[in-house]
Amino acid sequence: MSETIDPRQKILAANAAAAAALRSSFAAAGTLVLNLISSPGSGKTTLLEATTRRLVQRLRLGCIEGDIATERDADRLRALGIPAYQILTGGACHLDARQVHRALDEAVFPPLDVLFIENVGNLICPTSYDLGEDFKVALLSVAEGDDKPFKYPAIFARAEVTVITKSDLLPYTSFDLDAVRRQVTTLNPDGVLLATSSRTGEGVDAWCQLLADRLAGKRRQPA
Amino acid sequence: MHELSIAQEILSSARAALQPYPGARLERVRVAVGELTAIEPELLRFAWEALLEGTPEAACDLDVEWRPAQQLCATCGVPKARPPRGWLPVCGDCGGPLRVDGGQELDLLQVSFVVPDGENGHERDD
Repeated sequence: MSETIDPRQKILAANAAAAAALRSSFAAAGTLVLNLISSPGSGKTTLLEATTRRLVQRLRLGCIEGDIATERDADRLRALGIPAYQILTGGACHLDARQVHRALDEAVFPPLDVLFIENVGNLICPTSYDLGEDFKVALLSVAEGDDKPFKYPAIFARAEVTVITKSDLLPYTSFDLDAVRRQVTTLNPDGVLLATSSRTGEGVDAWCQLLADRLAGKRRQPA
Repeated sequence: MHELSIAQEILSSARAALQPYPGARLERVRVAVGELTAIEPELLRFAWEALLEGTPEAACDLDVEWRPAQQLCATCGVPKARPPRGWLPVCGDCGGPLRVDGGQELDLLQVSFVVPDGENGHERDD
């Protein structure tokens, strides 16, 4: 005898519950949390290094790094004097909220103003998983080409902020920044787009200002 | 390729939904997958088959309802016809901006199952 029920629930309900718990603990601590998502090699860690150099005297920063292998990224940020914890996924293509929860349990970070969660380098899979962040940041390097928002719409539709990296390469490529801006606006009319170069420093101050503004905005809200 | 992780979440959610029915065996699971979830239905079905292969529930089908995103005119609110998996830059009728709606669904909709005779925890009148 066959029977049917209609659960009508989110497939990622378990992850969503873990993310909600993280979000309330981040709210109680007044910590702004970013989930950085991009292809491998787009410059996530390099942007975090440039950000850390500018903000480390003003804000208490920390980082969770997601990679398939090596502690390399966490080491790069520790070298700049901020606490960093490396999650090694051993092949998995994304971080989930339970991994972040375990990482925070093990890392025992001091109180933080801003926590960066650098996801595994992948423009697709990390998109599905809420990590309790305040917002997702999509990074797109000039070398990857200007057609990516429409080709990978899920992440660019969900990221509140899109950061173009390696803008110092713009004069040497046919990358059309306005075309990218139009695609991002189409997918996410409220999205913010910043062009940055971690090498020359272009746009990095604007990025740091955005972080400071979002942190101040979060702290104005009742937890 | 995170469809295997998603397939595992579907299976554990479906099994959890069957807890009130001891001995129940999954027969068919129906899910909704939105265009903006970064999940490919074909890969999800493949992952599902791989996950259940060799188990007593290997015959359980996974039905995937595809939910495309819509682009609506911000001025008149009417959905505009999109090319499949393509995006309109502006409203074809008034030239105004469009907003994206939907496509974020990732839901367990329906679970069909068989309860073998004698293992049903619920009393029947017949």
